[in-house]
Amino acid sequence: MNKLMKAVLMALVIFGLAALTLTAQPVQEAPEATGPVELELWYGAAITEAGPPPEDWIGFSLIKEKLNIDLKISALPSNESDQDVKIRAAAAADQLPDLFMVRRDTWVSLVNDGLLAPVDDMYAKMPTRTAQQYDEASINFTSMNGVSYGLASPGAIYKNEGLLIRQDWLDNLGLSVPKTLDEFYDVLYAFTYNDPDKNGKNDTYGYGAFIEINNYEAYPGRRLEPIMGAFGVEGTWDLCAETFGLSIHDPAFYDYMVFMKKLIDNKVIDPNWMAYKKDDFRAAWKQGKFGVMREQNAAYAALANYKPFDVNFPNGSWTIIDPITGPTGASSIGPYTVNYRIYAISDKVDQVKKDAIARLLEWMSSDEGYYLLGWGVENVNYVFDADGIPVTTGTELGFDKPEGQTVTQLRNMVFYNGDVELYSRYPTYITETSKKEMSALKAMREMQTKKWTAAVGSDTMPVIPADLKTFYEQGLAEFFTGKRTLTEANWKAWVAEFDKLGGAEWEAAGKAYAEANNLLY
Amino acid sequence: MEDKKPRAMTRREIRKADRATAVRLSGADKGFNLVIDSFLWITLIVISIPMWSTITLSFRPNTFLGSYFDGMFLAPWKWSLAAYKALLGNRGFLLAFSNSFKILALGVSSALLLTIPLAYVMSIKSLPGHKVLVMIVLIPYIFNVGIIPSYLLVAKLCLTNHLAAVFIPTAVGTYNCLIMRSFFEGIPNELKESARIDGCSEIRVLISIVLPLSKAIIMTIGLYYGVSFWNDFFHAMLYLTDNKLQPLPILLRNILMASGMNEYVEASAFGEAPIEAIKAASVFMSAIPMIIAYPMIQKYFTKGTLLGSVKG
Amino acid sequence: MRRKDAGTQVADYRSKGLLLRQVKRHASVYAILLIPLAYYIIFKYVPLWYGQIAFRDFKTIRKGIMAAKWVGLDNFKAFIGSYYFWSLIRNTVMYSVGKILICVPMAIVLAITLYECTRPHLRKIVQTLAYLPHFLSWVIMYGILLTLLSPGEGLLNDIIKFFGGQPRDFLNNSTAFPWIVLLSDAWKEMGWNAIIFLAALMGIDVSLFEAAMVEGASSWQRVRYITLPAIRPVIIVVLLLRIGTILDAGFNQIFMLYSPAVYSVGDIIDTWVYRAGLLEGRFSLATAAGIFKGCIGMVLVLASNRLTRKYSDSALF
Repeated sequence: MNKLMKAVLMALVIFGLAALTLTAQPVQEAPEATGPVELELWYGAAITEAGPPPEDWIGFSLIKEKLNIDLKISALPSNESDQDVKIRAAAAADQLPDLFMVRRDTWVSLVNDGLLAPVDDMYAKMPTRTAQQYDEASINFTSMNGVSYGLASPGAIYKNEGLLIRQDWLDNLGLSVPKTLDEFYDVLYAFTYNDPDKNGKNDTYGYGAFIEINNYEAYPGRRLEPIMGAFGVEGTWDLCAETFGLSIHDPAFYDYMVFMKKLIDNKVIDPNWMAYKKDDFRAAWKQGKFGVMREQNAAYAALANYKPFDVNFPNGSWTIIDPITGPTGASSIGPYTVNYRIYAISDKVDQVKKDAIARLLEWMSSDEGYYLLGWGVENVNYVFDADGIPVTTGTELGFDKPEGQTVTQLRNMVFYNGDVELYSRYPTYITETSKKEMSALKAMREMQTKKWTAAVGSDTMPVIPADLKTFYEQGLAEFFTGKRTLTEANWKAWVAEFDKLGGAEWEAAGKAYAEANNLLY
Repeated sequence: MEDKKPRAMTRREIRKADRATAVRLSGADKGFNLVIDSFLWITLIVISIPMWSTITLSFRPNTFLGSYFDGMFLAPWKWSLAAYKALLGNRGFLLAFSNSFKILALGVSSALLLTIPLAYVMSIKSLPGHKVLVMIVLIPYIFNVGIIPSYLLVAKLCLTNHLAAVFIPTAVGTYNCLIMRSFFEGIPNELKESARIDGCSEIRVLISIVLPLSKAIIMTIGLYYGVSFWNDFFHAMLYLTDNKLQPLPILLRNILMASGMNEYVEASAFGEAPIEAIKAASVFMSAIPMIIAYPMIQKYFTKGTLLGSVKG
Repeated sequence: MRRKDAGTQVADYRSKGLLLRQVKRHASVYAILLIPLAYYIIFKYVPLWYGQIAFRDFKTIRKGIMAAKWVGLDNFKAFIGSYYFWSLIRNTVMYSVGKILICVPMAIVLAITLYECTRPHLRKIVQTLAYLPHFLSWVIMYGILLTLLSPGEGLLNDIIKFFGGQPRDFLNNSTAFPWIVLLSDAWKEMGWNAIIFLAALMGIDVSLFEAAMVEGASSWQRVRYITLPAIRPVIIVVLLLRIGTILDAGFNQIFMLYSPAVYSVGDIIDTWVYRAGLLEGRFSLATAAGIFKGCIGMVLVLASNRLTRKYSDSALF
C-alpha cells in the first residue's frame, strides 16, 4: 500500500501544483481611493499583424501619471466575424471589458440585453473630443430610445473609392473612356480579347471584382456597385421616399442581372471574381489581370500598395472615371453612408471608472494624446515637415516601419479624418520605377467628386435574418453561375419565394424603421 | 532470423537473401509488389505536386507575374526570401510561436497524464462498475453540447485569459481515450496477471508492464493531441484576450483573414513580399515543428515489441 | 504485499459481501481512476449542466443560468423548422458518409501498402510525405485548390484547355463541389488517418506471417486472411466513432471552401450554426443544434454498436 499511497499522493500534489500555478489569480487589491483606476480596453488595431505596443510604451506611463489610470489594452481579432463572436461570448459570460470597440449589429444586441452603460453624461466631460468627433449625427447613431449607449467615432472617410480603368490599355487599343453601358461593354470586351497589354498572350480580363458585402451593400457587394448604379439599383435599399423598397424588388434589377450574365458568359469579367478574397483581388490587379475595377484610394495609390504594380508595369496607369450611365440615364459609384466606430462601455463600470474613461478619451483627443497615439514620439517615430504635417523619420522606428507601427495601433481611437491626418497618411510622392507623382489624397479628392448615391443611415436598417440571407445570396449566386437559368419568369418566381420566406416582412420592417428615423430622401 | 520484410536491407541484399533461401516470388507476388509500388508512386506524386506549388508560392518574389502553374517551375535562384524574413523579423510571430510551444508541451503532458489512466482503467473488464464507467465516459461524448457551455464554465472558473484555458478543457478527448482503451485491451492478460500475482499494485502494472508495451499508441495519441493543440484556433480566440498570450493560429488568422477593418491600408507590416507568399510561408513555418517531431516519434513504431516480451 | 487470487476474475455480484471484496481488491485501480475521473466530471459534465441554455432564451449569465427564460423546445423547433434544415442534414450526412467511404478505405490501403512495401526508400519517402498535408490549415488548402481549380488559370483548367475543352469554375459549381470536398479531404487526411492503422499493423505478431509463408500463401492471400483481420478491431472502432460523429462533417474545411454559389450542396449543420447561431449571438440556438446532433449521434452509435457486437467481439461497449 505504501508505494501506491506515495504514487497517488505525488500525483495529487503535481496536479494541485499545476492547477494552482495555472489558475492563480493576481491578488486583487481593493481599489484605494488614491490608487490608479484599472481600465480594460479592447480596441481595433490599426495594423493587427504588426503586434501590440510594447510593455514600456510611453503611453502607459503617461496615462498612469497624468490620468491616474492603469490601462490594460488588447487588440480584437482582425476579422470582423471573429470580433463579433468574441464580444458576444464575453457578453454571454458577463465578462465584457470596461471599454471596447464593437460593430453596430452586435452593439444593438448588447443594448437590448441591457449590458451597456448609458453615456449621455460623458459627452460634456470630454469637450475637445466631443467637438472633434461626436456631432449630432454621431450621437444619434448610438442612441436607442433617446439614450446614447455608445461613443461613435468617425470611421473611414466616405466616398473614398472610385471606378478605375487602365489608361495605358485604353491608349494601346485606341479607345476612349467609356460613358455609356454599351461603350463600357465594348471596352471590357476589348480588354479581354484584344491583348491590351501587348504581351502576345490572351491573359487579361475587362472587369475585376470580389465579393465584399455589408448590411447596406448586399450580395454581390460593393465592388459591383458601379454596374448596379447604371441600372439605378445600387445598395440594398432604395431610400428615395417615392420609390422606397429593396433594390431587388426594382424591375431594373432584372436588367442588371441580365447584364451581369452577359459579362460572365462572355468572360469579360475575371472569372475568379466569385472566388477571390480581398488580398487575392488586390494581388491580381497588381499583376495586370484586369483593367477596370472599383478600388479604395489608399489601397490603390499609397506607396506600399502601388509599388508592386509600378515595378511590374512602369508604363501602366489608372484613371479615375465617372460612373457608367445606363439605359435610363442612371449612374452611381454606389451608395455611401457615414462610417462610425462604436466604443461601448460595459454597464458593470461604476462612476469612478466611467469618469476615468472620460478622462482617458479626452486626453487621447488632446494634442498630446492625438500625436502620441497617431504617430508616436516626436523625433523618434515622426518629425514635422514644413507644413506641420507629421512625416516618418525614415529610420527603423518610423511610424511606417513594422517596429514603429506597434506604437500607433490605437490610431483608430483618435483619428477623425482631419486635414493633418489626411496629409500625413496620404503624402504626395514620386514612384521609384516610373517616376510618376502619386498621391492617395489627390485620388481621394477626385473620387469624392464623382456621382454617389446618398444612403446615410442605411447601415442601421434592420438586419436581414440568417436564413433569408442564405436564400438571397444563394439565389443570386446560382443565377450568376447558371445553376438557375435567368429568365424573366424564373426571376419573378424567385423573388416571389424570397418575399414569402420573409423578404416582404423585412422590407416592411425597413420601411417602418426608415420612416421612424427620417432616413428617407 | 530471416525476415521477409527487411527494414534496412538494400535491394541487392533482398535478392541475395531470396536466392539464398531459394524462395521464389510467385507471379501473384510479383504482381502484388507491382501494385503496391505503383500505388505508392501515385500517392507520392499526388501529394507532392500541391505541396510543391505551395512551397514555391512562399518563395515567390513580388515581381512575379505568371500563373500559379508557372510559379511551380520558377528557378530557385529567382526565389525570394522576403516572406520568411518578414515573418521571422516580426516580434509577434516569434512570441506566438513560443506561446504555441507552451500550449503544446503543457497540453500534451496533461492530456496524456489524464487519458492514460482513464483508458487503462476502462480496459479492465473485470472491474466492478466497468460498464458504469464506460457509460460515464461516453455520455458527454455523445451529448456534445458544443463550445459555449464550456466557455461559460471556463469563465466561471476564472480561467479566461490564461494559457491553461486553451488546453485544460479539451485535455481528455473521448475519441483518443477509447482508441487507447482498445489497445490496452489488446495486451494479453497473462502479462498483467503475472505481475499482479507477483504482488504488484495496479499502478506498478500500468507503469512497468503496460506502458512500455504501448509506446506506439501513446506516441500516436500524444501526436493527435499535439496537433490539435498546435492548430487550435477557436478556443484560443475565445479564451485568450491578452495579445501576449495568443498562439500561432490566432496570428495566422489575423494575417490571412484580415478584412475591412484595416482601413489604414496604406501600410502593412509585411512590405516587400506579396501577400500570397506571406500566407504560404506563415503556414509552412507554423507546420514545421510538427513536421520535425513526427520522424522522431516514428522510431517508436517498431514491429514486434509485443512479441519480444511475451516470449521473454 | 497483497496476494491476488488468480482464479476468481469474474465477479459475482449477487452477494454483497463478494462485491465489497471485489471493490477492495481493485482499490488500487480505483485510485488511479480518481483524478482523471474528477477532471472528466468537472470539464465534461458541468458543461452539460450549462447545456440547458438550449432550452432557455439565454442572453447572459449575469443573473445565473436559471434566470434565462425557459422556452422548452423552441430553439429546437427553430432549428428543425428552418427552411434549410433538410438540406443541411442531407449535405452533412453526404459529406460524412462520403468521407467514411472514401477516406477510411484509402487510409487502410495506404497503411497496408506502406507496411507491405519491399522498397525501403520508397516506403520511407511516402511515409514521411503522406502525413504532411494534414498540417496545412484549410486556409492554405483553399489557396492550393485555387491553384488547381481556378477558372482563370488553374492547373486543371489549363489541362482542359490543352485538350480543347472549355475551362469551368469548379469551386462554384454545385455538382463539382462535393467531389472537391471529399477528394481534398482524402488528400489531406489520408496519410494522417493511415497512422492509426499503421500502428495497428505494427502490433501484428510476425510469426503469423511466417506461418502463412510456410503454408505457401501468396501475398494477396496473406493480406486478405491475416493482415486485414488482424486490424479489424481498430477498423471497427474507428468506423464506429466516425459514425457517432456523422453530423460533424468538417466545419473548418467547408467554411474555407464554400461560398453562396454552392450553399445548396455545401452548407452543413455547423456552418449554418456558425452563421445563424454564433454570428448573431443566438447561443441557445447553437447549443440546441449541438444537442440535436448529439442525440442523433447517440442513436447511431448505439445501433451500430449493437450491430458490430453481433458480428464480432470487439465493440465500443
